[in-house]
Amino acid sequence: MTARILFDFPPGWQLGLPLVAAMLVLAWRSLRGRGLGRGAASVFCGFRAVALLVLVFLAARPVWVAKDEEAKNTPKSAVLLLDRSESMSLEENGETRYAQAMAFTRERLLPALHAASLNVHPLLFAEDAEVATGNQAASAQPNGRRTNLGGAIARGLATVTGRPLAVIAITDGVANESADNARAFAALADAGVPFIGVGVGNDRGVQTLMLRRAEAPPVAAPNAAFTVTAQLEMMNAEAMPPFDLALLRDGRLQQTKTVNAGKGSRFWQETFRVLEKDAGVHNYALQLMPPSVPGLKCVETQAATTVRISSEKELRVLYVQGALTWDYKFIGLALRGDPAIKLTGLTRTSSKSVFRQNVESAGELLGGFPTMLEELAPYRVVVISNLRPADLNPAQQELLVRFCGELGGGVLMIGGADTFDSSWQSSRLEQMLPVMFSTDRGVRGLDRPFHLQVSDEALQHPVFQIRDDRPSRDVWAQLPAFTHYSRVDSAKAGAQVWAVHQEDQGPAGRRILMAAQRYGAGQSAVICVQNFWRWRLAKDCESPYFDRFWRQLFRFLGESGRQDVAIHFISQDLRPRSDVRVVLERQPNPKNIAQAAGKFLVRVEGGDKAIVHEQVVDLAPARPVDLVFRAEKEGLYTVTVLDAMKHAVANRSLEIRDINVELQQTARNMEGLRQWAALSDGLAVKLEDCRDDGGLVNTIRSKIEQVRRNRVLRRPVGVNGWMLALTAGCLGAEWILRKRFGLS
Amino acid sequence: MKPRRLLVLMVVAAAARLAWSQESDDRLATFFMGRIQYGRNMGSDCGGVGQDLLKLVSRASTIKIQDERKVKLVGEELFDTPFVFMNGHNDFVLTEAELANLQKYFSHGGFMLSSGCCTNPAYPAAWRREFSRVFPNERVKPLSYDHLIYRTFYKIERVRCLHESRDIHLEGLFYQGNLVAVMCEEGLCCAFSANNSCNRGKGISPEDGQRLALNIAVYALTH
Repeated sequence: MTARILFDFPPGWQLGLPLVAAMLVLAWRSLRGRGLGRGAASVFCGFRAVALLVLVFLAARPVWVAKDEEAKNTPKSAVLLLDRSESMSLEENGETRYAQAMAFTRERLLPALHAASLNVHPLLFAEDAEVATGNQAASAQPNGRRTNLGGAIARGLATVTGRPLAVIAITDGVANESADNARAFAALADAGVPFIGVGVGNDRGVQTLMLRRAEAPPVAAPNAAFTVTAQLEMMNAEAMPPFDLALLRDGRLQQTKTVNAGKGSRFWQETFRVLEKDAGVHNYALQLMPPSVPGLKCVETQAATTVRISSEKELRVLYVQGALTWDYKFIGLALRGDPAIKLTGLTRTSSKSVFRQNVESAGELLGGFPTMLEELAPYRVVVISNLRPADLNPAQQELLVRFCGELGGGVLMIGGADTFDSSWQSSRLEQMLPVMFSTDRGVRGLDRPFHLQVSDEALQHPVFQIRDDRPSRDVWAQLPAFTHYSRVDSAKAGAQVWAVHQEDQGPAGRRILMAAQRYGAGQSAVICVQNFWRWRLAKDCESPYFDRFWRQLFRFLGESGRQDVAIHFISQDLRPRSDVRVVLERQPNPKNIAQAAGKFLVRVEGGDKAIVHEQVVDLAPARPVDLVFRAEKEGLYTVTVLDAMKHAVANRSLEIRDINVELQQTARNMEGLRQWAALSDGLAVKLEDCRDDGGLVNTIRSKIEQVRRNRVLRRPVGVNGWMLALTAGCLGAEWILRKRFGLS
Repeated sequence: MKPRRLLVLMVVAAAARLAWSQESDDRLATFFMGRIQYGRNMGSDCGGVGQDLLKLVSRASTIKIQDERKVKLVGEELFDTPFVFMNGHNDFVLTEAELANLQKYFSHGGFMLSSGCCTNPAYPAAWRREFSRVFPNERVKPLSYDHLIYRTFYKIERVRCLHESRDIHLEGLFYQGNLVAVMCEEGLCCAFSANNSCNRGKGISPEDGQRLALNIAVYALTH
């Protein structure tokens, strides 16, 4: 094939040439009429003709086209785009779309492409595209929130060195992001690369109904109503018949309700009102009974949550020790003046014996650390001191995590040579705590005297307000020197660092000595100082401050799950740009049944901590109050009720979600794939069309070969400085001649 | 420097380093005891008593222990030591500075075990008199057998005197309802430490002495 020039806009020269000819004839006549000789008129018209012909040439958009000889010498490659958006997780014929795509790729497409000596560059894409290895593709989860096919094409073309022979996309075609489409079209056209789309899924789409989550307050008082909430999601439904939702209490059916879901796509919640008479721990499980609808997919139909029913007469602290420590003694002294906090000790005294202190019954903790959540439920805080991982097996660690996350309990890990041992790394316990353990073993060499440096964040915290007459900062600055501490590497995201070492630098700044974080419904905290008791015994310190700190710390850790005000969410849709209704109900105080109404501030914060609503309400027991706030955006909204002292007495979170666009349209979109193919001289085919033989793969191979054989280079012609100079030169020469011959 | 001197210096330095690291390890221990030096008493009556008490504690618990330290009653180091031991044979009088330090020490949570040596009545009498001066309106008083200190580890129903037909009671000083100091007049330290060899046929039997001493140590760690 030889090089040639083609015009992308032939009307440019088809209309332009006759027009130029007519203009030249008129100019010739005009010049001759003004007495100019033939020779001079010819020169004048010649200059003008050249300038006009250049303009006509450019107007026709000339392109230089030649066979791409260079392409033969570059390695042959193809870009393979695998869709991992959530719509690919839908199951059809017992297999997810993603699994079907992977099977097709692995068993048919890749062998064929390798047989054609093509290097394959795989990319996984959803809202973004990223280069992936075969293993990564095989283990990827189809859970992307959006599908941006255009962006993936552009990224794929940019990833490969040189031009690939094809971009092959294996997708259901349900693209819901189009911002990068123009860029991708231009990139395909410029590179002359065909798009080959392989459509996965069926053309009818999938209707889904699922129970996403069960939610309830972690703690409720006896005889005080609370709500157990089911968050439901329905997608692409035509007309969903009514279906039943059941509430099971400790495995036994307690309530059912019939739900009329309507049609279309929804994210909403249904609530059950529950009242318990006696204290205890109960598991509330929700069971969705799917209606009989052909093709309806119900991915999740069960969810459960745990609620502790407690009158909260006293705050019980379980102090678990691998061996007796002085901290236990001094903390016990600190709590002695507070009848509302009761300290129970469980200490290992040898490999086979434990020491129990302040137990309430003969059988309590007789077998050592509890093995069931019900045994742990009477406590509000668990302190772990001087324990090795062997002292708490994985099941007991899991119990502790559930105690904190589900029951809203507090967990504190405090000094002791073995407590912060590196062998706790990657344990279930570490996942709950606000710090990452260090790889340093034990505490050797860390016995130089040091001082705590309390953070500003801590000094604002109610736990650290230990003096009324002067700023608490002064007391914290006068703490005695401590002599041992355990090294942790860093704080977790979301943790509050309360105190750091005065000088010891870790991988993420000064070594953390005290930190806390919210974990589920509860709080977890660490104190890495080995002999914190020295504060109380120190000669120049006043022990009441030590005592007050510990009481406040235990109240903070233990009462995070306690709700003085119940926050109920009613059955309603949870979508952005809608009003959300909340019912607030003050819980009766067992110590003061006849309490009067009080003013509370209700604050609603969005996911970015911005306050979206604030309102003062009067709350009295048994007199629920409605509150409405506007949820403009999707995200997590937290409703917090604050008392007159601005202390939070209750909070509850609610998720507002836009309808999952990935599941809103679930039918395979072959039309979209065909458009991409048509614009790039490519191909769009259905996956099932090649199930019986290798037809599809052969078609793809032949298309790639055809492209490879016919690949040409196209470059625009004439848009350069030489053409500009020629035009300007001709017009300038004509102007000079006009002056010379005295023509105006 | 001559090579021999250099060698000696290196050996001394290595020994010092070894000693320091040993000390460092010991300081990780939970239970340590201060041996009180008061008046003219240098804390050396019944010399092995500190070590023996620590051995007792370690035998009965996984708790880590370390050597006793000498602690002056007027010294700052008293406030680094949550458990102190005091004994003697003779009468003594505490100075105002010692009393002030003790008052602060006990009110901050410190604990003292005290024992008269070899059933000598002079020391217990002095202890009762002097420790009744520590807190206004708080006098040393006997601890009846229903007190927790007799049950913290071993369950002790009664302690018989070896040389007289009577029960022996511990005596204690309280601060705001908390027991902060315990004294046994009948050679408790001789019983649990020297196998009663210095007080043969008198005071408390070695078995009772060991059980009482361990109960007191555990009580101090838990109350």
